[in-house]
Amino acid sequence: MRRTVVVLAGLALLVSGCGKSGRASGGDVVVAVDVPVTGSPYVAETIRHGVALATSGINSGGGLIIGTHSYHLRIKLYDNHLSARKAVEDMRSALSAGAVAIVTDGTGVDATWQIANQKHVPICIVYDGGSGLVDVAKRPNVFRIAPTNHGIAFRYAEYLIPKGLKIGLLHDDSAYGQEGSADINRAFSQNPRSVALRMTLPAEATDLSPQILRARRSGATALLVWAQPPTIAEVLTAARSLGWSVPVYTPPTGADPFVRQRLADHPSWVDGLTFAGSRLTAEVGTAPFESFQSQYESTYGADKVGVRTAEGKQVVQPPELAMYAYDFAHVLTAALTRAGSLDPAKVLSALNQVTTQGANGDERGFNQHSHEGVVDDDVYFARFHDMTYAPVKDDPLSSTLPAIPQTR
Amino acid sequence: MRRLFAVGVSALVWAAAAAAAQPHQQVVLPGPVPYLTPNPPLIGTTALPQVYMTVRLHVASDQRVLVGVDGEGRPVQVSDRQRLIVRGKGDYQLAIGGPIRDVHPAAGTQSSPGLRTDQLLWAGFSPGRKVLAADVIVRTEVAAKYLPLRLRLKRDGGRAILTVANATQTPQRLYAGTVRLPELGRLLDETRRASLAGVRLTGTYATFIGSVRTNRLVTISAPLRVQGELRLPGQAPVRFDRILGDGRPESFQVSVRGSGTPAVHLEAKPAAVVRLLRPPGASSWAEAVRRRPLSPADLLERLMTTRMQLVRADQFQSFLSDPDADGKSRTVYEFRTVAVRPHPAATATHTGGGSDVLLIVLLVVGSLALAGGGLVAWAHS
Repeated sequence: MRRTVVVLAGLALLVSGCGKSGRASGGDVVVAVDVPVTGSPYVAETIRHGVALATSGINSGGGLIIGTHSYHLRIKLYDNHLSARKAVEDMRSALSAGAVAIVTDGTGVDATWQIANQKHVPICIVYDGGSGLVDVAKRPNVFRIAPTNHGIAFRYAEYLIPKGLKIGLLHDDSAYGQEGSADINRAFSQNPRSVALRMTLPAEATDLSPQILRARRSGATALLVWAQPPTIAEVLTAARSLGWSVPVYTPPTGADPFVRQRLADHPSWVDGLTFAGSRLTAEVGTAPFESFQSQYESTYGADKVGVRTAEGKQVVQPPELAMYAYDFAHVLTAALTRAGSLDPAKVLSALNQVTTQGANGDERGFNQHSHEGVVDDDVYFARFHDMTYAPVKDDPLSSTLPAIPQTR
Repeated sequence: MRRLFAVGVSALVWAAAAAAAQPHQQVVLPGPVPYLTPNPPLIGTTALPQVYMTVRLHVASDQRVLVGVDGEGRPVQVSDRQRLIVRGKGDYQLAIGGPIRDVHPAAGTQSSPGLRTDQLLWAGFSPGRKVLAADVIVRTEVAAKYLPLRLRLKRDGGRAILTVANATQTPQRLYAGTVRLPELGRLLDETRRASLAGVRLTGTYATFIGSVRTNRLVTISAPLRVQGELRLPGQAPVRFDRILGDGRPESFQVSVRGSGTPAVHLEAKPAAVVRLLRPPGASSWAEAVRRRPLSPADLLERLMTTRMQLVRADQFQSFLSDPDADGKSRTVYEFRTVAVRPHPAATATHTGGGSDVLLIVLLVVGSLALAGGGLVAWAHS
């Protein structure tokens, strides 16, 4: 009988040793997501999905391990309404909730970074490429995984100037347009002969025909339009209505589903529209990104653009913004693990030292001199045809990149 | 006479047979790697992240190490302007380790360098050719140990004397054994060609007949070309241009008469082995061994030592590592007298260390006093 007890006790010990993890639960770790749910729902939703996909993967894999404890990552969603004032409120709420980091589209960061910095809490921007938003010296807690306006502007100068075009530099009067305009002006300042005119467009205008007519009369042979998606749609509408087939170049906003939705009745007006973005695939090929996309779509469904190709196929948007948010969640987790603590100052310092493999197969990380997770070299150009886009063939980097499937 | 001839022929045949009967070994000769010591290139304290470079890419490294020396010739600041030329089209993600304090973009760079603890990072895309240039500030106390020169500046009466010494010397063991003269001639010619062309040695071997011994220690140094000037205020500078090593002295002195604080400015770069590889009385070693009797043992030692010197010189061509192991690396070391202004961080570290020691001493003394006091109190209680 005594022997049986000993054997049973041994078995019980063995079974307890075979458990999933011997680590004690440390509770929840909050990651705040502050995005314009009501101002720009597509942007907000895809960012939230990106963070959620990463955190659910980490949680199901045993959670975030810090020392001897395992933590559950929890997302707290805030809606900034595209308003800096609301973003400040959200920041205060997030800090009260004990958030270890804030993922944002970039709204209100000029006002929120100081509040977060008082507690050494990192902010990561995954949409806005504004040059002043990230400044390692002045804003040590602000990071970004998204192409920068500066990088896009200089890549456009590098791409367009050798073509010998006379470029009309247009921007709308939104904050986004004005910030981009400053970078574009700097990038083209060495080659003023390439510039036919500079013009500000009213962001709320529903008819830009007079402005586009003026651009045409200036002798412009190409338009570089740094503006929000509605303005880009209006520029295309005005130009094509005038019968002007001028090539139009844009920042990443040109790929926003809104542009295609607005021009759904005139698909040919979208043809030829070229936008700059950050490459979605690494040298290793499309496999890592496609795997991420498939994981994303199986969890949340494909992001449908709401238009179809000439063959009637549904067009979907590759989850680019979600990828940035997803990657940041992984970099943050690596930093928390490296810091070995939830101490925000230690986590902030560790964010400068860690690297993870991004969803597209590229290495993702920050460093002490650059809090940018997307290098300027990674900016590529893609051109629309039949409501989907493919990398251009007349740029060295873009020509090496494969097209991402965008129909279902 | 006939008998003598027969005996001679027999002896030759026997010697040839004996040689043929001895085992032959192909022994790999020094070069291009491994280097004779672990550093340079400098290494840091952190593990480097995964480095990625498209196979089509090649990276050449061109470095200028700027060494600020104090009034006695001791290094007080070291930085390295590294210029990487990426050739080919494709992605790269490079990490260069070292005792790195800070990095800044240098003139002409087409990308911005990243910094992590003891790491310089580059990532991006090369459209065919790309220049990546950075000024890398390194921790002097670590980097100074791996500089190829030691300088000493001193005043002696009405003169200022500069002593420049080759600091690349390192002991190495030599192989000894029997290698046939024609093979030695060919190998020496190959080595000489590589040295004169300024290209890295290619891997090769020698066929040893019989046993191979590795019992002799020799001192190996990189030949260095040193050019510069020593100057006193109001005096014409004394210029110099010397080779250290390659069969010449490993140090030299320069003096200048006058008063005031001497200032030195010189450049040193790894040089070719020329003198020790010059064939005696012939245009090539192959011809030299045919023309006159040369000692195979001496030639083998010459072959080994000159190859090691070239390996040592190649090692000092990369003060910071070249991320492309097969890339062409060049480094110039520039020494210049500077006003001594210790780096704030270095001062802080030093002071910090001193404070720690002082703190420990105070704690120990305090503890002893407290224990002693307690003991006295207990004894009187």
